[in-house]
Amino acid sequence: MSCNSSVTRVNVSSVGQAQRVPVHLLPCEIEHNGPAQVSQYLTATTKDCKLEKMVSFRGRGLKGQELSCPQGYTGLVLKETNKPGSDQEDRTVKVSSVFDKLTYWNLETPPNSDDTVVMAMDWPELAEAIHGPVED
Amino acid sequence: MDLSPFESDNSVSCRLASEIPDVCRTEDCCLGIDEAGRGPVLGPMVYGICFCPVSKKQELKDSKVADSKTLNEVERENLFQKIDESKSYIGWALQIISPNTISTSMLQRTKYNLNAISHDTAIDLVQYALDSGVQLKEVFVDTVGPADKYEDKLSKRFPGIDVTVRPKADSLFPIVSAASICAKVARDRVVKGWSFSEDMGDVEADYGSGYPSDPKTKAWMLKYLDPVFGYPQFVRFSWSTAQTLMDSKGVTVHWDDDDEDGEKGAQRQNNKSMLAYFSASAGGKDQKSTHQTHRFFTERRLKSLEAL
Repeated sequence: MSCNSSVTRVNVSSVGQAQRVPVHLLPCEIEHNGPAQVSQYLTATTKDCKLEKMVSFRGRGLKGQELSCPQGYTGLVLKETNKPGSDQEDRTVKVSSVFDKLTYWNLETPPNSDDTVVMAMDWPELAEAIHGPVED
Repeated sequence: MDLSPFESDNSVSCRLASEIPDVCRTEDCCLGIDEAGRGPVLGPMVYGICFCPVSKKQELKDSKVADSKTLNEVERENLFQKIDESKSYIGWALQIISPNTISTSMLQRTKYNLNAISHDTAIDLVQYALDSGVQLKEVFVDTVGPADKYEDKLSKRFPGIDVTVRPKADSLFPIVSAASICAKVARDRVVKGWSFSEDMGDVEADYGSGYPSDPKTKAWMLKYLDPVFGYPQFVRFSWSTAQTLMDSKGVTVHWDDDDEDGEKGAQRQNNKSMLAYFSASAGGKDQKSTHQTHRFFTERRLKSLEAL
């Protein structure tokens, strides 16, 4: 935040107690921030085919696959327990759950290596090559 | 009628068929086509064909297979028994189109509407009979959309077969009525014994007829609405009844192919709408001249994060 002096802290010590959870990335925007019956609906109706997974959400056909986090990385789901009263106050977020893989879904298209999120996982390795220390 | 092939996975469509009577492979046959469950918001749509030798038409008529809509469930079950007992000369086949198939087809990016689904299913079933060696000479169809256009389409698709498409064909031709009974019996049984793949606990099976106008169906749909997921796959999401309830009681979901008002949609996606160019101040000084992000990042939708 460049316009004010507030600081956001991630409470890293909460990583240890954080649960490992299944994570889904959907090809739509859901105007909802809160719990959802993922295992009862989505997981329960997911079909595993040879190269892809299939499910439907709100009557639309989705195809997806599992994707691992880049080597050496852990996915974090962050939660802000106490919302600050103003944007001047410091913020603290805790790690509510962690994941090392996620399932991402495309709308009707089979998953493939050109999918945005698959390509995004290239960055850490490339970043390391660009910014890492130069070895002799 | 063994429904287990469909029940083992009721999210996809499934074909069920009787044995082909030997006599249908040697004698000229007539075939009737009808559907059940086109209107309901719940459960599958079932397409049925029934066929028998032309020489057995009178026998079929005498067995009093009437239009299945004028019968109650018990009468239909009894008539289906009769049809099944006449397996030496009557054959049938069904295509159960799962509600999930209906939803995902109708809501597809390139829409596949119910009329097109119906026509394609009817054609597939006639082709199935031909492929099984049934000597088809006459086909009778209950109409979907304008009868003459449909009759034309089917006649062209099956040259050499005499195709008759009529509104209310199920009350005019016994073989269509027989097809209608097979389809309706299958649909009733499937709806009655629907097993939910969703983990919803004990689901009340009192969903009425499944028609949107039925108060029982309406009450059921109100009760089993999940704000995020909407409904189990038993419900046809493409029906306006389901859409309206989800719009009013569920959370809003946006898809990238939604027909959103151009400006509103663009605003939500943080894009500039075409219209914005007309109102923008000349010179466009409102945009900060920051450096351009490399396409490596935009293609991957990667952004450096400055604030949560």
